[in-house]
Amino acid sequence: MAAPRRSWLVFGFSAEEAAGGPEPGPGPRRLDSGPEGIRRVWPAWSYVVLETGAGALEVRGGGGGAGRRLPAGCTEALPSETHVLLRRAAAAEAWPRAAALRGELRGAPAWRRALPPAPGPGPAPPPLPLVPGGFAAPRPPFFAPLPPALRARRLALGHEHVLVLGAAGETYAWGGGRHGQLGHGVLEPEPEPRLVEALAGVPMRELAAGGWHSASVSEAGDLYVWGWNESGQLALPSKALAEERAQAKEAGAGDAELTPRQEQPGAEGAEFISIQAFPALLDFPQDLEVSRVSCGSRHTAAVTRGGDLYTWGWGKYGQLGHGDNASSDQQRRVDYLAAEGLRAEDVVCGPWTTYMCVLEQ
Amino acid sequence: MAAAGGEAAAGGALWAEVRALLPGAEEALTLALSGEVEECVPPLLRRARALLYGAGGPPRGRAATALRRLGDVLRDYSWEKLNAAPWRDVGKAWRQVYAYGCLFGALAEAAGGGPLAPAVRLCDMGLLMGASVLDNVLARLVRVLQAHLPRGQPRAAPAGSAQRVRVDPPPTPVIQPEDAVPHLHCPSLEHFRDNYLIPQKPVVLEGIIDHWPCMTKWSVDYFCQVAGCRTVPVELGSRYTDEEWSQKLMTVNDFISQYIVNENSVGYLAQHQLFDQKVWGHFLQIPSTPATSPLPWLDKQIPELKQDISIPDYCCLGEGEEDDITINAWFGPEGTISPLHQDPQQNFLAQVFGRKYIRLYSPQDSENLYPHESHILHNTSQVDVEDPDLIKFPNFRNAASQSCILMPGQVLFIPVKYWHYVRSLDISFSVSFWWS
Repeated sequence: MAAPRRSWLVFGFSAEEAAGGPEPGPGPRRLDSGPEGIRRVWPAWSYVVLETGAGALEVRGGGGGAGRRLPAGCTEALPSETHVLLRRAAAAEAWPRAAALRGELRGAPAWRRALPPAPGPGPAPPPLPLVPGGFAAPRPPFFAPLPPALRARRLALGHEHVLVLGAAGETYAWGGGRHGQLGHGVLEPEPEPRLVEALAGVPMRELAAGGWHSASVSEAGDLYVWGWNESGQLALPSKALAEERAQAKEAGAGDAELTPRQEQPGAEGAEFISIQAFPALLDFPQDLEVSRVSCGSRHTAAVTRGGDLYTWGWGKYGQLGHGDNASSDQQRRVDYLAAEGLRAEDVVCGPWTTYMCVLEQ
Repeated sequence: MAAAGGEAAAGGALWAEVRALLPGAEEALTLALSGEVEECVPPLLRRARALLYGAGGPPRGRAATALRRLGDVLRDYSWEKLNAAPWRDVGKAWRQVYAYGCLFGALAEAAGGGPLAPAVRLCDMGLLMGASVLDNVLARLVRVLQAHLPRGQPRAAPAGSAQRVRVDPPPTPVIQPEDAVPHLHCPSLEHFRDNYLIPQKPVVLEGIIDHWPCMTKWSVDYFCQVAGCRTVPVELGSRYTDEEWSQKLMTVNDFISQYIVNENSVGYLAQHQLFDQKVWGHFLQIPSTPATSPLPWLDKQIPELKQDISIPDYCCLGEGEEDDITINAWFGPEGTISPLHQDPQQNFLAQVFGRKYIRLYSPQDSENLYPHESHILHNTSQVDVEDPDLIKFPNFRNAASQSCILMPGQVLFIPVKYWHYVRSLDISFSVSFWWS
């Protein structure tokens, strides 16, 4: 029997629309895998960088038509709307977006940091934006050092905050904290890496940063969320969404008579949460265990060990994959996958998009 | 007006007026920004402009849909930039992109011939959070749109609802003569300067705003008429230090019907530039301290109202230009409280209608007032001055206060950094003038 086919689907805002094309339909779009297949994706807002099955990096979108290959030796990317961060054989480099969109890296990069030669076969280096001695960002000032004691395994960048997963699964957070995204229980900025004490003793395996929110998955498969719940991105009751629902209901009723607006409580007895300044454990139906999590600018997506995909938060551009443009302050299973006999393996959110790797069962 | 003709004819007349606000030729709408934005943005602006000019007439059908969508994308994208840094660090160019997004969205709505309220709301959003583009086109556009809206109706509230007898009317405080703020009738500039401004002493001024048109024109119904459809930032919750306190955007009509006439919830149209439509950066930021921070403002939202007030002559004793004076509107129901706090500028608080109870403490008493320790609220006292917890805040009893009940037509001079606590005793409208 043939191995299950692996492919990538995407929901939400399209790179084509960012380049002036028409808006995409509500359904998922299948990424053209080409003969080599797609191994990994790194989405920016207006384009995406892919790693093919043969290990080449390809840039799609940005108005350039077909995909453009980056030079051989590029093994990892972190794209933004100003620069692309690339891991090459001997250095980490930042190139202007336009150069990457052309697929041509000529002249000098905007930033470069030499990498020590690989110590031979062994564990892969921790992924970008981690580089030896610190971390890089795909925009100026490009590099910041990290205290060696942190022994960072993973690092995630929000709009204003930084999250690190340490060697023992501990979580650190620093940077801007106005929306509770640091998880320290306060809204003050934090200049230096600081342990998220509320998660001490809960070793984490996965970590993700949205624009103003944060999520992590424990070794046991529990999902924790904290930060701004402005669009329901924490799957906690959102007042704005409750009011939107009430208005839609009013409008849908088609009743011309004006009735006084009632206060609409969320779930029974639940309080609305705008900012969650401490990590909150998120309950999943049937105690499902989470294997992967990723955050868009204002939405969140998680894959369960059973191969289901759940999404919540901002849905205006269809990024939640439920076939509509509604936002949701509750986890919702993406039924499209089950209906098509697809099993979710991985999920990677762009700012307004959700890319998922699926196996055809 | 709009109701008089057929819908198409009225729509055509509206579009002609709207179109006249924009440059005649596509290239003349330069889309210039005062600063850098990411390179994915200008193509979107140019595409929206092409849709706007491509049709010759109002964009219809697919062009209108695409224009509305581009407005959404531009607004949503720049909104994230506006929120990705403290307000003072957000580049003006991104606020201009936000304004363009609102403009394109509002134009798509106006071209569609449907209800104009969404277009007015988009203009107000752009005026509140964006930065001026095309010679403040949003203010000019909203004026045209408003003229085509049915004139605001006096609100259809149940008769007498605003005078409803309260179950538990809060007592009007009794002020001992020795604690009363002194009152003066039309003092000379020199007298005010030498006896109050220089020694930094509070005083209630009388007879200086009696001639302002607002004193006779303004009422709740009048606001519904001139500004009912306008979207303004509102503070909800009886005081901004409350947990439940929040800010939201709503129309003046909704605010009045839900929070002024309906006494179940307490809302406060505070710190707002009904007159000077200045950007209220703070309502983006949570939690905010609207009563304690100087804010960046600009432009004009509802100029009709500004014509009804003046700047007190005494402000000329300050060093700043007239443009540096920050004018704020404070409109709310009975029982709204501004907790004891201090502001970084001199303040004239002019009472237009309703009464306010005000308690004042000198900055020299600061250590007896227990300011919050957090950076955000350090200009606000932790003490509830009308019900102080003297076990938690024992030194509060050492603080000396002055009080007044500010009546319509009176103006209270609050010296810079002077601590003040304010509770409205009626539906109240005040105008504050911050000057240096």
